[in-house]
Amino acid sequence: MCLGIPMQIKTIDGFLARCEAKGVERDVNLFMLQDDQVSPGDYVVVHIGYAIQKMTEQEARSAWEIYDEMLAAEHA
Amino acid sequence: MSATARQWLDDIRALPLPENIRIMNVCGGHERSITMAGLRGALPDNIELIPGPGCPVCVCPEEDVYEAIQIALHEDVILTAFGDMLRVPVNVPKDAIRSLEQAKASGADIRPVASPMESVQIAHDNPDKPVVFFATGFETTTAPVAAMLAEGTPDNLYVLLSGRLTWPAVAMLLDSEEAGFDALVAPGHVATVMGADEWQFVIDHHKMPAAVAGFTPESLLAAMYSTLRQKIEQRPFLDNCYPEVVTTGGNTSAKKHLSHVMKVVDANWRGVGIIPDSGFALTEAYAGHDARKQYPGYADTARKRAGQMPPGCDCARVVLGKIYPNECRLYGKACTPRTPIGPCMVSDEGACRIWWAGGVRESAA
Repeated sequence: MCLGIPMQIKTIDGFLARCEAKGVERDVNLFMLQDDQVSPGDYVVVHIGYAIQKMTEQEARSAWEIYDEMLAAEHA
Repeated sequence: MSATARQWLDDIRALPLPENIRIMNVCGGHERSITMAGLRGALPDNIELIPGPGCPVCVCPEEDVYEAIQIALHEDVILTAFGDMLRVPVNVPKDAIRSLEQAKASGADIRPVASPMESVQIAHDNPDKPVVFFATGFETTTAPVAAMLAEGTPDNLYVLLSGRLTWPAVAMLLDSEEAGFDALVAPGHVATVMGADEWQFVIDHHKMPAAVAGFTPESLLAAMYSTLRQKIEQRPFLDNCYPEVVTTGGNTSAKKHLSHVMKVVDANWRGVGIIPDSGFALTEAYAGHDARKQYPGYADTARKRAGQMPPGCDCARVVLGKIYPNECRLYGKACTPRTPIGPCMVSDEGACRIWWAGGVRESAA
């Protein structure tokens, strides 16, 4: 349950954001980042539907790349 | 494996390694990455990677699962729980209902959820029915539950809380006579929420090397390299090999919600016993959402004893890193993911389940 997925924020409505990762969209709660400035376009680590931290685009892309590799290895 | 990961492996091989060194991880996500990337086989033989207490489903006390089953069976409620919890068996007489999955099959309204927000939505959609959210998990999962309550939830949503803190279990092992490991890879997303400094005690009190790691083979190998170097140079310090998201103090909003909504209490770990200051309970301000206050008759205190794993099941010793999963007598024989006996074979974060998924079929018992 501790795996977090990097996602990009598309839109924000109050503490609810529509986020996207590799074509998959999800509603993500931003209440745990209320002390941070978050805007559409930003990247966040999402765990059980809640954004737990911001990250850079480069970090998100490299995490996706490595997760893809791991999933491919798992299904090989 | 990526070029960066291979480079870390080369760097580790180039170290003047001690004869034997045991590195413990305390996160199911870490163990999954280690197993799926084949890091055990890739590392030199004198480095042992030990999966420790990293599976919240595995340590959720039997009496809490039993309580959830009884509430779902005997009250007119909708019970929500993370999917992993549905198949966790409890010890009951033959023919009695032994899991939430069986309770659901017998008619109880039990719904698996992947997020606290789904429980809130179910409560919104069913205003005339109480919804009991069986919330299990470590800090990474418990903090969103606290955020859910702090943000405001429907009056008909109650939380059956079974949250645990990771570090006290490691502290208990380190305070014991035989900790069973020489270095620690600390959990990346627990540290994201709570702060890396929560693990400083490993160095300050035990002079043991430690490094926070993320979930990629690169980050895990970097953390292993760091702890090995610390050991060789006899210069332990808390390294952060997941600086993308982990800071010293953690997520301030998350910690604020946790301390407002929950208090830290002594807590029972399945098969292990009571660990001081290792659990979360709701504060008085949130007593109105406490399922244990709303449905007080189902806590079976007689079940609160250590060692309540099913007969023959060695999950407790697996969780504490005392044996490897395939050293349990039931592993791969009576106990497989299809017919799990203990919680370590049920959860995706259980070491037994991970090893099985990683292709370990041979018992070493």
